Amino acid sequence: MVGVKRDHQGNKKEEKSKEIARNAYTSIFEGFRDELDEHHDRRQRIGKVSRDVTALSKKIIFALQRVRKLNQPVPERLAAEIQGRVKEIKELLNTIEADVQGINRYRYPLICLEEFVEAVSFMHYLQHQTLITPAQSEDELKVNIPFTHADYVYGIFDLTGEMMRFAISVTALTGSMPGDSKGRTILTDLQEVSSMLQILPPLSSKNWSKKVDVMVEQVKKVERVGYGVTVRGNERPKGWMPDMNEAVGGREEHEESAD
Amino acid sequence: MAINDSTTIDPSIIDYLRVNAEQEIQVSEKLQQFVTTLNRHVSAAQGFLSRIHSTPAAKFPLLLKQVEENAIRPSTETVKELAAFASNYPYYKYNNRWTRGIQGIINTILLTAWLGGMGTDSRPGELGRLLTLEEVGQILQVPVNLKDRDAFHITIEEYVLSLTDITEELSRLSMNSVTMGDIELTVRISGFIKDLFSGFQLLNLKNDILRRKVDAVKYHVKKVEDVIYDLSLRGLIPKPDSTTMDTDA
Repeated sequence: MVGVKRDHQGNKKEEKSKEIARNAYTSIFEGFRDELDEHHDRRQRIGKVSRDVTALSKKIIFALQRVRKLNQPVPERLAAEIQGRVKEIKELLNTIEADVQGINRYRYPLICLEEFVEAVSFMHYLQHQTLITPAQSEDELKVNIPFTHADYVYGIFDLTGEMMRFAISVTALTGSMPGDSKGRTILTDLQEVSSMLQILPPLSSKNWSKKVDVMVEQVKKVERVGYGVTVRGNERPKGWMPDMNEAVGGREEHEESAD
Repeated sequence: MAINDSTTIDPSIIDYLRVNAEQEIQVSEKLQQFVTTLNRHVSAAQGFLSRIHSTPAAKFPLLLKQVEENAIRPSTETVKELAAFASNYPYYKYNNRWTRGIQGIINTILLTAWLGGMGTDSRPGELGRLLTLEEVGQILQVPVNLKDRDAFHITIEEYVLSLTDITEELSRLSMNSVTMGDIELTVRISGFIKDLFSGFQLLNLKNDILRRKVDAVKYHVKKVEDVIYDLSLRGLIPKPDSTTMDTDA
């Protein structure tokens, strides 16, 4: 018996039904085949879009890591770049809206939304020094795909990593912890967000406790930086970088590289 | 929540996260109860059904009655309750919790029916009857292959996966029925498994659980083929009668 020829994606290359004698179950299985093909095609479309949207979201995050000030509008050039990427994301997601409606919303992994929440929540934080709400994060995109609870929570988990990178590099460059005029700093914000997530009952999906551990490490790193600038503050030359994190920006992998 | 009045985090966020997380935990715990019950019925059913390998076909009706009454009927009740509960939540968010149990029960129903059980007033059971996905849905009183709304149902994958379980069980039976002197049953099984196997070959499978299970079916076919070979070599296969089963040996 010859196996089914497949292309790189695993799609069948040829029909071989003509070789098979029909029996009582043939038409049932042909029906199943059509249904399963439809399902696999859909999964593939979604997977492709999800990967692209993830890449675009990461690019937004890289751009945002070049911002140097809290509570300010994003510099024009960066803002334009980010707007362009958000537009691309929107267009990509528009192409799969129909595929993830109704019962299919939870059927296929759509990890990119988590990544998008990470990007927009970071942008929101840099501009307003507040945590984005679930509704606000959806409003940034306005596609007909509801974000799930998990998209939001895991996006915020990842936000803490971005806050850490931003806090460490800006503190190193300016000699003080970024914050507002009333003494609220990115460090206190980070502590607050991490406490909030730790208080929550853990979700069963994914590796919640590992996420929490990584986040707590990130907070501790910023705490050490905060202690450093408080005690030794001006003794250090501007631009000195604590040796606790790889270069800000050019990271390829996601959270795993955070520690 | 013990978080002091924050300007960073809007209280609505904390409420949103807490309410959702608590709901998820409650749903999870409740589902766990259903799944535990379902699995108990499934093991009982499979325990009863394991006796087919030592029971002559003439006594199947009695055995199958037992399976139906002691395992399938109570599990139908459980499935009904599970379906009512689970339909309140996104199907694919939780379906991995019960899909194994559901496959177990489908597999029990399919095997029982194929062996001649699951008869109704309008349609008595008969040996060699494969229930369709729709018929399984009717027995369990749940929808099948649902697409237009988000509620509990039985998927095509669950049904096909269950089919790969019954080919395994029947390939074992093909051997044991020879031992018990029922060669006709072996021939019957051989035809059925081969037909199913050509059905499986029509599917374009991805590298997933379905593929792995379907890949195993060829070993079930081989097992039955070996038995048929042994029999035909010794001229033990009865003359093919009017049925369409292919006993080309």
